[in-house]
Amino acid sequence: MIEVEALHKRFGGQVALDEVHFSVPRGEIFGFVGPNGAGKTTTIRILATLTAPDAGTATIGGVPVADDPYGVRELIGYMPDFFGVYDRLTALEYLEFYAACHAVPHRRRRSVALELLELVDLGERINDQVDTLSRGMKQRLCLARALVHDPLVLLLDEPASGLDPRARIEMRELIRELRRMGKTILVSSHILPELEELCTWVGFIDRGRMVAAGPMSDVRNRVLAGRRLRVELVDADDVKLYAARDQVADRAGVIEAELVEGCLEIAVEDDFADQDLLLDLVQAGVAVRSFAPVTGDLAEAFMRLTAPAPEEKAEEAGE
Amino acid sequence: MNAVERLARLFDNPLIVKDGVSRMRSWRAPVILTVYLALLGAFGYTVFVLAAISSPSQRTGSAMIGATVFEALALMQVSLVALFAPALTAGAISGERERQTFDVLLVSRMTAVEIVWGKLVASVAFMLLLILAALPLFAAVFLFGGIDFEQFVITQLLTVTTAVSIGAVSLFLSAAFRRTLASTVVGYGVAFAGMVGTLVAGALFTLALVVHSSTDLAISTSDVHPLLFANPFYSMFVALNDPNGAAMHLGRLVQLLFFVSSPRNDLGPGLEPWQATVLVQLVLVALSVFGAVQLVQNRRAPMPLRAPEPLEVAGVPVETGGGGL
Repeated sequence: MIEVEALHKRFGGQVALDEVHFSVPRGEIFGFVGPNGAGKTTTIRILATLTAPDAGTATIGGVPVADDPYGVRELIGYMPDFFGVYDRLTALEYLEFYAACHAVPHRRRRSVALELLELVDLGERINDQVDTLSRGMKQRLCLARALVHDPLVLLLDEPASGLDPRARIEMRELIRELRRMGKTILVSSHILPELEELCTWVGFIDRGRMVAAGPMSDVRNRVLAGRRLRVELVDADDVKLYAARDQVADRAGVIEAELVEGCLEIAVEDDFADQDLLLDLVQAGVAVRSFAPVTGDLAEAFMRLTAPAPEEKAEEAGE
Repeated sequence: MNAVERLARLFDNPLIVKDGVSRMRSWRAPVILTVYLALLGAFGYTVFVLAAISSPSQRTGSAMIGATVFEALALMQVSLVALFAPALTAGAISGERERQTFDVLLVSRMTAVEIVWGKLVASVAFMLLLILAALPLFAAVFLFGGIDFEQFVITQLLTVTTAVSIGAVSLFLSAAFRRTLASTVVGYGVAFAGMVGTLVAGALFTLALVVHSSTDLAISTSDVHPLLFANPFYSMFVALNDPNGAAMHLGRLVQLLFFVSSPRNDLGPGLEPWQATVLVQLVLVALSVFGAVQLVQNRRAPMPLRAPEPLEVAGVPVETGGGGL
């Protein structure tokens, strides 16, 4: 649905994008991950027809972004990382205005706006002026605004930035719901645990270069061997922990077992049967308090992929 | 599609509705309207009292008072419109940028022409409301006599075109500058140059022509420098005081604009000052709108006109995988 090939972009002497390439199949949620200044927003602005690349191609639904921007604008809903709202307009009027901007027929504007306000859980606030809404509500309203013309693709640049935990969860659920509605979604963020729970595909960008892109499990597996499990013991001490580690270390399917922060962390192959390992530990008399998969694999993968090369480290140390 | 439908379609622009609703809900709209009418009314009343005191007789005085008050009101109105126009228009596009809503507007299906047109109409509509709201004042003065209907129409037309032209120039500045403050300051500068600068410079140049007319036979005493012809104050003054005696040929105006006095070029139609002013203002509107459309268009990703230069990183050309855009 989204195809990006060899995108280059310079701002003055600064290379913002260097050979950026990735693709997003229809119906997937693509997490676009990178630190601030890595090139996420520039890439999204190119896809949104707001910035012209110096070289490379980008297509959305097969429509070239540079050659047919009007065609692309019908396919995309864009939510920038900053958002502005108009004063003295109600939420309903705000959406009706953007529906008109997207040439939604007169007779359908009111119903579209009302449906979207319900979707983003602002059905009770239709007559509230938008500048009086909370930040989370404004974010949801902006997402609704990106949907007024029922686009196939959503480009969401840091949609959860600045939101409190509850608002972030609501935004996440909303994005999941949109995927269920058949939208293809590109969402950028630097909050990795959130993306890990949300996205089906992922792309890492660092200093303008794509370092990895593909299905979430592929990217993670490419970088990290297997999954990780964390075992916490009752009254854990070194003796108990080492004993537990020895118990599992040689088991088939276990890649690695190590002690991390008073817990036992075990790297296992993807098809490993976790429940058998737990059973073995309990039968061996190990007092297990908790047994759970380690989240944050994406963060680990990202850190490994974007770590400076040894020679770069040496250069930095030399400086 | 008939003419009415076409006209309706022209004004079926979401920005006109949105900006109109948003503006009329703010406290500023009624305040500006009240201040405008209060200033105009107070000024008109003061002139009326002064004219009534100095009137020689009640019979002939009625028309004289009417003409004097009407002229003062018309000049005051065009001054106030020139004062309000930059403030009402200079933030039209830069305000969208400052509010961080401009990009979203650009990603919509609205074309650059529709955006600029919507912004212009929304801004000018409020100025037209001001002019319309003052009509009863003029109508009251009209009853005194001394002003014919044509003069009334010309003054109102000049006021409207002045509002639209300053609005259009300010809109262009709003597209050119990132900050509303900058576009407003420059907008006032341009309005001042157009309203006062052309009057002073035109008067000085005309004085120079008069001085030279004693030695240069090609210069007649009726020659006026074209800068005065572009000035709404002068045009309005002439329309109200000397409606039939100030026309100049277009060829002569162009000639004098470049300080060429002889041989006389009386080609082209004869233009009265108000016609020349309206013409100049319409040209300004067209140029400003065209410029604003270009600026808004370029804010979007422009269509590349040529293949991009090869990218170099650290002095080494980089092969691009995809085709150049």
